[in-house]
Amino acid sequence: MTLAALEETQSVAPAARTGDKSEPMLRLLTCGSVDDGKSTLIGRLLWDAAGVTDDQRAAILNASHNRAVNGERIDFSLLLDGLVAEREQGITIDIAWRYFETARRRFVIIDSPGHEQYTRNMATGASHADIAILLVDARHGVKRQTRRHAAICNLLGIKKVIVAVNKMDQIDWSEERYRAIEADFAALAGNFEFAEVTTIPVAALTGANVVARSPEMSWYDGPTLLEYLERVDPKVETEDAPFRLPVQLVLRASGDFRGYAGTVTSGAISVGDRVVDARSGLGTTLRRIATMDGDRKTASRGDAVTLVLDTDLDISRGAVLSEVKRRPVNADVIEARLVWLSEKPFDPEAGYLLRTATDLTPVTSMSVSALVDFETLASTPAHECGVNDIADCRILLGRPTSLDLFRDLPLTGNFVLVNAVDGSTVAGGVIAWVQTGAAAVGENVLVLDRARLAGLCADLGNSPEDKAEFDRRAQEVAILLRSAGVPVLIETDQ
Amino acid sequence: MTALTSHLKLLEAESIHIFREAAAQFRTPVLLYSIGKDSTVLLHLARKAFWPAKPPFPLLHVDTTWKFREMIAFRDRMVKELGLDLIVHTNHDGLARGMNPFDHPPSVYTDIMKTQALRQALDAGGFDAAFGGARRDEEASRAKERVFSFRAAGHRWDPRLQRPEMWQLLNGRLGKGETVRIFPLSNWTEADVWRYITLEKLDVVPLYFAAERQVVERDGQLLMVDDERMRLLPGEAPQTRKVRFRTLGCYPLTAAVESDAADLDAVVTETLEARVSERAGRLIDHDQAGAMEMKKREGYF
Repeated sequence: MTLAALEETQSVAPAARTGDKSEPMLRLLTCGSVDDGKSTLIGRLLWDAAGVTDDQRAAILNASHNRAVNGERIDFSLLLDGLVAEREQGITIDIAWRYFETARRRFVIIDSPGHEQYTRNMATGASHADIAILLVDARHGVKRQTRRHAAICNLLGIKKVIVAVNKMDQIDWSEERYRAIEADFAALAGNFEFAEVTTIPVAALTGANVVARSPEMSWYDGPTLLEYLERVDPKVETEDAPFRLPVQLVLRASGDFRGYAGTVTSGAISVGDRVVDARSGLGTTLRRIATMDGDRKTASRGDAVTLVLDTDLDISRGAVLSEVKRRPVNADVIEARLVWLSEKPFDPEAGYLLRTATDLTPVTSMSVSALVDFETLASTPAHECGVNDIADCRILLGRPTSLDLFRDLPLTGNFVLVNAVDGSTVAGGVIAWVQTGAAAVGENVLVLDRARLAGLCADLGNSPEDKAEFDRRAQEVAILLRSAGVPVLIETDQ
Repeated sequence: MTALTSHLKLLEAESIHIFREAAAQFRTPVLLYSIGKDSTVLLHLARKAFWPAKPPFPLLHVDTTWKFREMIAFRDRMVKELGLDLIVHTNHDGLARGMNPFDHPPSVYTDIMKTQALRQALDAGGFDAAFGGARRDEEASRAKERVFSFRAAGHRWDPRLQRPEMWQLLNGRLGKGETVRIFPLSNWTEADVWRYITLEKLDVVPLYFAAERQVVERDGQLLMVDDERMRLLPGEAPQTRKVRFRTLGCYPLTAAVESDAADLDAVVTETLEARVSERAGRLIDHDQAGAMEMKKREGYF
C-alpha cells in the first residue's frame, strides 16, 4: 500500500465509530541486536502509517536537532525510547508498548531492548506477542544476540517471525548480500519450531519497504513490512481445545449467590455441561454463566466470566475447572524449560514459589539439569544458571496443582518462579513434562507450620501483618535448613 | 447483552482479569478515582469484575480543591447512585502553606497537591495496592509501565528495576515496604476508551462535550474561568467560546480545545481525527523534559 493510499484510508470510515476491523488485533514484538535500528524501524512504521500526532511530530523534530546520531535525518527512535536514561544513552532499556491502527487492523507494538543485559525484558515482551520482527543489520548479518532472541521467541511459543534485514541502503541495496543473510537465518531457524519465517529487506531510515515499496530494490517482489503485518494470521488455538478456567476468586453475594470468577484460558463451556475440579476429582454441572450484562449460554477462550455450579465443589482460588474427558494433570513434579530473569543466580537453597495461572505453590526442591545453547538448542549438563540463561530444570512441589503441558495449552502450561522472601519474579518457564504423586513430601520433609515455629513466632497473632511476618520468618528458617541439607515445606494458613 | 466489538470485549476481559488478580492477591486495595473518562471506564470494569458483589475496595479521590465544579458534582452523584465508599483526601498542609496553581510552577504545585497528597492518603489508609486509570498510549514513560507497578518504600518508582511480567501471570507478592500501582487500562487507547463509553452508554462529566464556556486565551491555550478564584493577567478578559476538554484536571492547568463535538458520537469522531495527543492539554506535563517520569519516580501514579 502506498503512503498516499494509506492516508486516504485514515479518514474516518463508517466502521471507525465502533472501531470494527476486518482483521483481529496483532501483537508484534520487535527485537534485534544493539544498533540494528529497532526503535528507528518502529518509529518509521508509526510515522509513515500515521500513528504519530502533530505535537509528537513537533517534539521529535525538535529533539532530533539536539542529537546528531542520524546526521540531518529525523531521529525516529525518540518516538519509542521513553525513559530519561534511554534518551541519554541512546539505547532501549525496557520494553515500550505502542498502539496504532490502520484501516484493516489494530496493532500493539512491543519494542524490546537489544542490549544483552536487558534480555530478560525482551523475554517479558516476547511472552505477550503473536509474532516477532527480528532485526538484522545488513552490514553485519545474523549475530549472537539475534540467535538469542530467536531462541527466546521459540521458547515462549512465538510461531511466526519476520526477519527484517535493515540498513539495506548502507550496502548499496545488494541482493546478493541479502540472500546470504536470508539463507543464514533459514539454517538457524531449522533448529526451531517456527511455523513461518518471512524475510524482508528494508531501510528504516529511508523508509524503504517499511510502508512504501522501495524503487531501489526492484529485485524484491515480496510484501512490504506493513503489507505483511496487515495480512498475517496471529496465532490461534485449535478449534477443539479442552476447556479450562483457572479460578481467580470465589464471589459471594446476597441471595446465597456463590460463583467462581475467572477467565477461560482455552476451549469453551455451555450451561448444562459437566465440569470437574482436577485437584479433587469432583464433578458437577454448570448451572449459570453470570455477568453484569446478563447470563450467557456459553463462554469461550478469553471470556472473563463467573461460573455458578449445580453443587458446590468447595474449591477456592488456584483450582482449575475443566471438562471431564481431557483434564489437566494434578502434578507435583514438573520438568520445565525456563529463562532466568533475576540478577541473583539460581540458588538451590533459596525459597521459591511456583506461580501458575492462579495458583501459588511452594517449591520443596528444585534442580537445574542443563543449560540450553542458543545456537543449536543442544543441552549441556549443568547445575547452575544465572541471568539471561535458558535452562532445563526439575521442580518438586509442596502439594499437587493442576497443570498442562505448554505445547498443548500455553496458558495453563506456563509459570513464573517467585522468590519467597522478597517477592521478586526470578524466572519464567514452560512446562515440558509433569508427574503425579512422586514428590518427596513425606517423612523426610520437615514441615514448617505455626506449631513447629511456635517459639520463634510467639509474638505473632493472626492479623494479616502478622501472617506475612510469620511467612517471612519461616522462609528465612527454611533457607537455613536447606543449606544444612534438610528438605523443607512451609505451610501458611493464609 | 452488550454490542461491544471483539476488540473491546478482549480489552474488557483483560481488565476484569487484572482486577480479579489484584483483589485476590492484595490485602487492602483502593481505586484512585479522578472523575475523568478513564476513571469512569475503570470504575465500570471494577463493577463488572465483581458482580453481583460490589467492588471489594473503596474509591479515593485526591482533591486539590482546584478541580472543575462539574467534576465534583459528577463524583458525588456517581458515588451516591452506585452506593460506593469514597475517600476524599486533600493535602491540607499544602493548602495552609498557600499552595495554588497561580503562584507556583506547575511542577511544584503538582508535586505537593497531587503526588504528596496521594502518598499521604495511601499511607493513611494503609493501602498496599492502588488501581489507576493510566494508559500506556498516553505518554512515553507510561509506555514502559507494567500492569502491576511496584513501588519501593516511599512510593518511589525505579524504571530500571521493574518486575518482569510474563504472559497473563501477575505476581503480586510484595517485598518488605513495597506497595503496588495497578493499571487495568494499560492496553487501552484514548479511542478505545471513548468507543467503550459510547457502546456501554456510560455517563461522563459534561465538560467532555462542547458547550459555550467562559475562557481566556493564554500562551495559545484556552483556560476556563470556572470560578472567581481564576486570576486574570492584565489585558485578559473572559470570552465565550464553544469548547470542550480532552482530559480533566485542575481547571487553571487544563486547556480546552475549540470544538463542536456536543455528543459522544461527535467526540469519538473528533478523537479519531485528532492530530494532537491528549496530554498536550495538560500544562503540567510540559514543564520539563521527562516530566512524567520524574513525577512517577516521586510517587505520582
